[in-house]
Amino acid sequence: MLDVRHLTKVYADGTVALKDVSFQVPDGEFLVIIGLSGSGKSTLLRCINRLIDPTEGEIHWEGVDLATLKGEDLRMVRRRIGMVFQQFNLVKRSKVITNVLAGRLGYSPSWRSLVGRFSPEDIELAYKAMERLGITSQAQKRADELSGGQQQRVGVARALMQQPKMILADEPVASLDPVLAHSILSHLERLNQEDNITILCSLHYLDLVQRYATRVIGLREGKLVYSGTQEDIRSMTDSQFKEIYGEEAERAGGLVGNLSVETGGGS
Amino acid sequence: MTRSTAPKPPAPPTHPVLKILAPLASVFIPGIGQALLGAWRRGLLLLVSLATIVGLLIWRIRLVGRREVDFASMIGKAFQLRPILLAITIGAVLIYLWIILDAYLIARRLRGGNSAGMWALVLVVYFALGWQIGDINLVTLTTQARDAAPFMQRILWPWERAIHREEILLIGRAEIRIPCVGTPPAPIEPAKREPSLLAEPTCGDLSTPEGAPGSTLTISGSGYAPDTETEIWWMDELRNEFRQRQAGEYVKVTTNADGAFQTDIIIPYRLIPPAEASAYSTWQLQARQLAGVGPAEPSEVLLLAIEKMIETIFLGMMATFFGIILSIPVSFLAARNLMSASRITLFIYYLTRTVLNVIRSIEPLIWAVIAIIVVGLGPFAGIVALTVHSIAALGKLYSEAIESIDPGPIEAIHATGANWLQTVMYAVVPQIIPPFVSFTIYRWDINVRMSTVIGLVGGGGIGFLLIQWIHLLDYRAAGIAVWFISITVAILDSISSEIRQRFV
Repeated sequence: MLDVRHLTKVYADGTVALKDVSFQVPDGEFLVIIGLSGSGKSTLLRCINRLIDPTEGEIHWEGVDLATLKGEDLRMVRRRIGMVFQQFNLVKRSKVITNVLAGRLGYSPSWRSLVGRFSPEDIELAYKAMERLGITSQAQKRADELSGGQQQRVGVARALMQQPKMILADEPVASLDPVLAHSILSHLERLNQEDNITILCSLHYLDLVQRYATRVIGLREGKLVYSGTQEDIRSMTDSQFKEIYGEEAERAGGLVGNLSVETGGGS
Repeated sequence: MTRSTAPKPPAPPTHPVLKILAPLASVFIPGIGQALLGAWRRGLLLLVSLATIVGLLIWRIRLVGRREVDFASMIGKAFQLRPILLAITIGAVLIYLWIILDAYLIARRLRGGNSAGMWALVLVVYFALGWQIGDINLVTLTTQARDAAPFMQRILWPWERAIHREEILLIGRAEIRIPCVGTPPAPIEPAKREPSLLAEPTCGDLSTPEGAPGSTLTISGSGYAPDTETEIWWMDELRNEFRQRQAGEYVKVTTNADGAFQTDIIIPYRLIPPAEASAYSTWQLQARQLAGVGPAEPSEVLLLAIEKMIETIFLGMMATFFGIILSIPVSFLAARNLMSASRITLFIYYLTRTVLNVIRSIEPLIWAVIAIIVVGLGPFAGIVALTVHSIAALGKLYSEAIESIDPGPIEAIHATGANWLQTVMYAVVPQIIPPFVSFTIYRWDINVRMSTVIGLVGGGGIGFLLIQWIHLLDYRAAGIAVWFISITVAILDSISSEIRQRFV
């Protein structure tokens, strides 16, 4: 159970990115965070694994308050939280296998990883992870030789290598076309269902949200404005979705409307 | 450029007075008319162009006609000696007239913004001036090239100088009685391994001081080294040695493949001191040959060139090595993304950048001169000079590589629970290694090339030899040095491009 209480983040330049955000995520959920660009989705996800230090609030997970952790303790928790990024964030010039193995760094002693060695168990684990994501044949290629969809699968494999209890996915499919988006999200869904990994994922398109989410929260200007279950989101209408996205969404309304109408007809 | 300075269509109509005044103004001060009409940028550019052209023209005319007294005769002399100056003058006059016409056309709204012809003329005149100032003379290039050919030949194919053989002097002797009195001398039996020389006949008369030729002797030699130049010498009774001359030149014969030769010579004139005058005298005729014997060995020049070439390569390598070591810390100080945290660090950033730029703008040759003052002549001065320059050049390149790091992977590796050291190893190093390697190899390449010339000022390496041999006019030896430099640079070039391709 992830329990976020009164989370606030104010950046050094005075921007209020999160304002008193509280919500709970039971283990094994596929939580989708929706909201406009700049609504605080990325900040929220990065506060959870402390890539960003929150200004105020508590983040309770597995019996500790993540917001107060420091040094080694933080590292120990961080290695059980995988993260997937919009821009994949792979080390482009390194091989795929190296990128995947990098997910194991939190578990490897420094001296060993400094000489570029990993234990045979880790390497076996890496091949298993790549096999699950269907990228075994790419193992020896450089990451930047892969297509966007393949790169994101490497990103997911890297997160999987951490044997995580939770995966944070920051707009994982925003740089991909719709077919690849489904492919990546269904991989995440499988991890969610088969390995019981909690997924926190920010998404933009209503049809994807309705297809994959088991719970949804909406952010607007750093504030939590919506919280709903799978049923709520399945029955969500275009206008409700727009409400979360605010007045600015109106111009992009055509796109939002089309997608929701399509999925609406399907479900 | 011209389009923006030409008047725009919706401009107010030109004042009638200005229509006449503007072209007139350009007659007195070219370009002012255009300025009055609003095209001040065009006017200024035209004024500056014409003024510089006229100024340069006067300078060149004075220079060429400096022996004349008044300016008019200077012009005459200059045009006579350098016809191109006349052409430039005509060009300048044309530009002047064109400027007046241009002002008139602009005033009348007849100028459509296209005046490329005028600017082209200005450019052509500038190039003509450049030709004259640069003293370009294609005729010299072609006619005097032939005179340089022997030297060029030695530089292009210097390898005779690379092989050395022990040389011995082979001398064949024959006695000649002057004049023909009594029995002529018999041929001298040559000693072992010595060549033999036979003359037919073995007596004769000297040439006279009045020019009547002496007796002709047919001489033939054998037992010499094949295909080698052989000189003909005389030794008179007083044992004075002198070379056989014919038609003003020393007589030289080249032996055939069997080491033999045959030629005709005319006994020369020689003043005999009256005290020594006797009925006859016996001279010795010698055919001398400097022959290479023994196995071919690398010459001293070749060995020295190889030695210095190795020194050069290592000089470049050491300079690169020190350059890398010292420029890495500097590059972090010169990377904006690392140094923009506070004002103090930003100040250090600007300071580092400025110092690097200053150091880099001073050529390694000048650094070598400075280094020689400090550490004395020799390769170490070269290493110091190239190191200093390498630090500046690599520091800039490295810092740019650091600036272009993608922060995404760093964030991602950090998020896996990796510690600081692991994050640097797995996210930062892979990103900067390829550009670092590439820049380093490139620099090594430059440093070895530079180290070949750093010797010119005394910084060690093969350049030191090269400049000495050029000064000694030993073009073959210099040619060997040039060959070694070219070969090394070519090999290095291909190696460095190969390595760079692999890493980047």
